[in-house]
Amino acid sequence: MTAFPSQAIPGAAAAAALIAGLAMLRLERAGRAGLGPAAALVALAVGIGLAPAAHPGWTPLVVGVVIAALARDGDELLHGECALKLLWVMGSAIALSWAGLELLALATGTPYVLEQWAVLRLGLEPTFLWSTALPLSLLIGVVLLGGAPFHFWLGDMFQGVRPWLAPLAAATLQITGAVWLAARLDSVAMFPPGAQLAWGLLRIAAWVAFMAGAVTLGAQRRPERRVGTLASLNGALVLALIAAGRGPETMWLVYWAAHLALALTGASTLARFLPVSTPAGPGAPILRRHPWFAVLGLLCLFSLAGVPGTPGARLWLEVARALGTTGRHDLLVPLAIAWLTALWKAIEQLREAYGVPARPGATVRAVPSPARAALAISGLGLAGLASLAWAKLLPW
Amino acid sequence: MWIRDRIRAALQPIIHPDVRRLGGALCVAGLGLVWWPSLWTGALGLELVAAAFWVWARAASDRDEQLPRWRWLRRPALALWLATAAQAVQQEAVRHGLLPYSLATLLLWTQAAGVVWAGLELLAALPLARPFSDRPGPLLTVGPWLPALLPSTGFVILWRHVGHWTAVPEVRRTALLLLIVTAVLATLRAFGRGRWVASLRWLIVADCVFASMLVALAVVPHEVSLLLWLGACGGRVALLAGELRGMAPRRVAASLLLWRISNWAASIALSWPLLVTLGFGPPGLASPWAAFPTAFAVALGAWVTIRRMVEAPERRAMVRRESAVSVSRLTAMLTMVTGPIALIMAWWSGFDAPGPAGLIAALPSIGAGAVAWWLDRRPAKAPAGSPEAERGVDVARRLATVLYRGITALERRVVDALSKVAGALMAPSRDLHTGDAQEYLLFLIGLSVVALFLPLLK
Repeated sequence: MTAFPSQAIPGAAAAAALIAGLAMLRLERAGRAGLGPAAALVALAVGIGLAPAAHPGWTPLVVGVVIAALARDGDELLHGECALKLLWVMGSAIALSWAGLELLALATGTPYVLEQWAVLRLGLEPTFLWSTALPLSLLIGVVLLGGAPFHFWLGDMFQGVRPWLAPLAAATLQITGAVWLAARLDSVAMFPPGAQLAWGLLRIAAWVAFMAGAVTLGAQRRPERRVGTLASLNGALVLALIAAGRGPETMWLVYWAAHLALALTGASTLARFLPVSTPAGPGAPILRRHPWFAVLGLLCLFSLAGVPGTPGARLWLEVARALGTTGRHDLLVPLAIAWLTALWKAIEQLREAYGVPARPGATVRAVPSPARAALAISGLGLAGLASLAWAKLLPW
Repeated sequence: MWIRDRIRAALQPIIHPDVRRLGGALCVAGLGLVWWPSLWTGALGLELVAAAFWVWARAASDRDEQLPRWRWLRRPALALWLATAAQAVQQEAVRHGLLPYSLATLLLWTQAAGVVWAGLELLAALPLARPFSDRPGPLLTVGPWLPALLPSTGFVILWRHVGHWTAVPEVRRTALLLLIVTAVLATLRAFGRGRWVASLRWLIVADCVFASMLVALAVVPHEVSLLLWLGACGGRVALLAGELRGMAPRRVAASLLLWRISNWAASIALSWPLLVTLGFGPPGLASPWAAFPTAFAVALGAWVTIRRMVEAPERRAMVRRESAVSVSRLTAMLTMVTGPIALIMAWWSGFDAPGPAGLIAALPSIGAGAVAWWLDRRPAKAPAGSPEAERGVDVARRLATVLYRGITALERRVVDALSKVAGALMAPSRDLHTGDAQEYLLFLIGLSVVALFLPLLK
């Protein structure tokens, strides 16, 4: 059987996420849902669709689009707050990383990454300069991936930003972060001291991201913030894979990006209709009135958590194998802790969503059809991705 | 409209199934999956069993108590998921042709620890959820019977995945130690409980623990361990089910006699190879430190089996005629013959006990049971139920209860202290930021400074 072309998969995932986003946009009141928000969604979806061929130079552009989309609604206070936080953190992180890039270019005399490693390998440059510049240049990648301690922006975004924008914006930013790191560390193995430094730093970052993410997830009670932390753990997977010296390979990145876009869309939409952690409360309306749509949303949530059998589990397993075979056992333990916590919380979320039976005759509010459509699109998209993987039709 | 209504009515049981049936289906499916030899199906099976308890608990009238009571059931499932993940990583690494020694060791340990954790926690052998057999389950009609499922499932996990956890000697030894402690505690609790149904639940725990010890020692083929467990534990589970159906096994003197003998015989058959091995087995397996507490637990179990199983008072106005060979009696007879058949199979496969060793090993169960029987048959000095007759029994029971509660309270305190330390260590991470945007910026700048200086420090 012929494998699917690699470009088609993130493209299809981006299109599905875009349609889901546009459907959710219909829920906005008149005056809010116009051409501007739709254009922002299209721009973000294009960012996801072009993930395999993305250029790190697009990073400020993507961050700018997200902040502009957030800041557009003057009367939406939570949007404004999120925009401000992103501007503070990502703006300064881009500036610092840009400074790192310029320092490297200054030290090596070339802006091209491969040439930089070749020049540095000659050992003519002072160690101080490149060893300072290299970590700085990685900073925006780590921030955008949302690995703890930068996981707060993902939680804030899923809790505070409108549901039509949050999943696409978060997925695009995270994918941009992964592309940044992949491009920045392309063929870094050619310069072993640089590779050791970069992988060492990213190993610390991944360790902190898994452990802090697991602790945070254990303490969180709001479903939206839980989705944010699960997204952050998915970002940590990229950090761990790079720390293992394994890329990320383009094909892995494509699968990860497609999965992230679909899973975040479904999980974020579902989380809006779930109650805050109440073990003995009545079930959420969506589960009582539209159980099949809820199941599709839960599939997305489970996939983010890496529940066995879902497409997301494949990503966790691949990273664990890469860490094990490259001897990074110190990262296997936090990875296992984070995965177990995610698994625990995913099932707990399912139980809280179903809650206890409502009293007989209690009326249940219907969930708007655009939200159901968004859940169906993302859930079926994810199921399609899983089917392709099971049928071995994926190009890796 | 008419067709639509009919379709909706037909789909109603699927969309909104009856809670009892849904829980039952989940439980049966889970128990079925647990018997499969794969870790993956085992983990899924435990997850389904936990889901079944949750489904029943959420619909119970006392759900506020039931839901937290059975929440721990997800821990064994999670432990088995961990073992499953370790196995998956191992298989993936082998498939890609690269499995470093250190990774293989780590994964082997993880699998062993995961399987043992799952099995021991269900056997009430870990201090986290030990007293679960004290309380009835969440379903109203069969609630008192439901907890008996859990130690049985624990044994099945340990038996089915024996290769995983006995491959690491340290894990096997630790598991054996915890099982011995549990055997003593379970029989003490069975002795200390006033109600026969509660005692029976703890005797089931003890039987599963003895059978798991046999599996850990691997002195008899695993099929024999299974058969011995089926005889001992299966008999008690059937007896417990009979208790919930109007105490049928204890209503008629002949049935009571048959059940007493069969349970006693099954206990003797289960404990005998265990005590032979622990007391007089090959070097490395034999240990007096393990044999004495195990013998004590075996003796106490036999005592409770004989002494506490008394004829039920007849309250029916009209006694229904019992068939000569009822299902209950047939089960008792099966229970009675299963143990000896398993021992013959063990002997056939090479298990042997030198003369005095075999006799001594049989002494705790036979001796304690015989003394209990003799005391039961002896004409009482004081009428049964009188304060004089009850006083001596009460003191012993109270002592057993105090001992059990003291040990479990100590365990609980240690676990609580560890949880508090972990909580105190993790508290600062929750206060890491207040949510102010300015604080994020300061944090980022701090991290950049660290990133700058980290390479210099290296």
